[in-house]
Amino acid sequence: MTDTVAESIQGDLGQANVLRTAAGARRRRYVLVVLGWLVFIGLWWLLALWVGSEARLPSPGRVFQEIVAILQEDFWAQFWASIVRVVAGFFAAVLIGTPVGLLMGRSKYWSNFLQSPVVVAGSIPGLTYAVMAFVVFGISFWGPVLAVGLIAMPYVAINVAEGVRGVDRRLVDMSTAYGRNERQVFRHVVIPSVLPFVFAGVRLSFSLAWKVGTLTEVFGSSKGIGFQIRRNYQLFNMPGVIAWVLLFVLFMLLIERFILVRLERRLFRWRQWERET
Amino acid sequence: MAQVIINRLKKTFPPPTKDGDPVVAIGDISLEVEGNVFVSIVGPSGCGKSTLLNILSGVETPTSGTVSVTEGGRAAHLGYVFQDARLLPWRTVMDNMLYVRDDGDAGETKATRYLDMVGLSHTHDMFPGQLSGGMQQRVGIARAFSVEPDLLLMDEPFSHLDAITARSLRDHLQELWSATRKTVLFVTHDVVEAVQLSDRIIVLAPGGRIFDDISIDLPHPRRATDPKVATLQAEILGRFEEMHPAPATA
Repeated sequence: MTDTVAESIQGDLGQANVLRTAAGARRRRYVLVVLGWLVFIGLWWLLALWVGSEARLPSPGRVFQEIVAILQEDFWAQFWASIVRVVAGFFAAVLIGTPVGLLMGRSKYWSNFLQSPVVVAGSIPGLTYAVMAFVVFGISFWGPVLAVGLIAMPYVAINVAEGVRGVDRRLVDMSTAYGRNERQVFRHVVIPSVLPFVFAGVRLSFSLAWKVGTLTEVFGSSKGIGFQIRRNYQLFNMPGVIAWVLLFVLFMLLIERFILVRLERRLFRWRQWERET
Repeated sequence: MAQVIINRLKKTFPPPTKDGDPVVAIGDISLEVEGNVFVSIVGPSGCGKSTLLNILSGVETPTSGTVSVTEGGRAAHLGYVFQDARLLPWRTVMDNMLYVRDDGDAGETKATRYLDMVGLSHTHDMFPGQLSGGMQQRVGIARAFSVEPDLLLMDEPFSHLDAITARSLRDHLQELWSATRKTVLFVTHDVVEAVQLSDRIIVLAPGGRIFDDISIDLPHPRRATDPKVATLQAEILGRFEEMHPAPATA
């Protein structure tokens, strides 16, 4: 097969080129990310100099000291308390949102029935959920879980519904023609088509969930990052407030970059080629 | 040897608009196909060719009439090659081949053999998105042959490809068919292609009725450039003109 050999050689060359430019692009991207941070910290430092009061706007150096102190103290316990609640709430959101989305995607009846509640639930401000969770549960573990679950669920449901509607009819027909049963079609055609949409929903609502989770901790919790921010505020410890906020942002970014993005790449390896054809 | 019996088959689809008429895809077709023959179903667009294959494969149900596809008294195994390759984009080529089999890893040897026959054994671990359209279609063909079907359904498998790729795939198909001698139902709108490949050509007219039933008695494999093939092609194209005196309006 001369043509297949030619095709595969061309493929190899193409791949090598892609790899080379990909490495360069990645280096450039890192440089830009670092530059962005440096500019941000520089501006902050100038602003702090201008304000001239560590109690009102502490300098980056002062906040950095505070961050180090927090990390040496009880950061991990507080962080762990927050993340367990966010993950538990998220889990509840996926557990409820996925079947709701499946129903909405599969039948017009259920779609009409569920559409407005889901949209309304998605447009209620996070603060409302935080207050509600506090009123219902008081200071407890379940308040933040409920708030996170409620804020994330509509995103999961709407994305799953969209994914189910997008299942390629032609692939389902192909499966039927080859005698695949409904269970096989669900597992090998429906789930893989819906999964990228679920993931998009999760990523979209993740930062929202974190924010609401922390907000709920401000009212209704005796530990967690949100609680620490409030405590430092009440003590008029501005470096502490900013340090906790920065740590919060940093860990959200790390989780997003190193867990969600990697998981997505691994799960949807096939998609990188799909776009080219 | 599969046996296909189609008896007074009708298929209508619900009207596309609220106050339109139902769409008649197949008017009234009765047809029998038996043995190791390559049968083409030819006709202009919208005369129910694809619908016929979809009914035979169980993807769609008839409005009235019956179809039976059997092999020595049991339901026949089917292979289906579509216009587009219809591979699962999230599975590698080999996993796509195995998806339509029930024997798991044991089927891999067989799947590899057919992948090799279409010249694509090196794509084993690639994803469909990494292959060209022609290569994807070859995987689709290998998949259909690899289930060793009693009846092979093909729905304009080359119509989305460029002329050169299509020509080489036709040669491939003839080789594969000569080696396996399956019963084939091959839908196409290309009379030239039908004459080159088939033992029998069923011509459908608009409205889903059989217009003509022609047998072609030339040895396989046939080259597109063979003068005998060319003569027959001209003759059958002539009959087509009888059916279509003027270009269809509306």
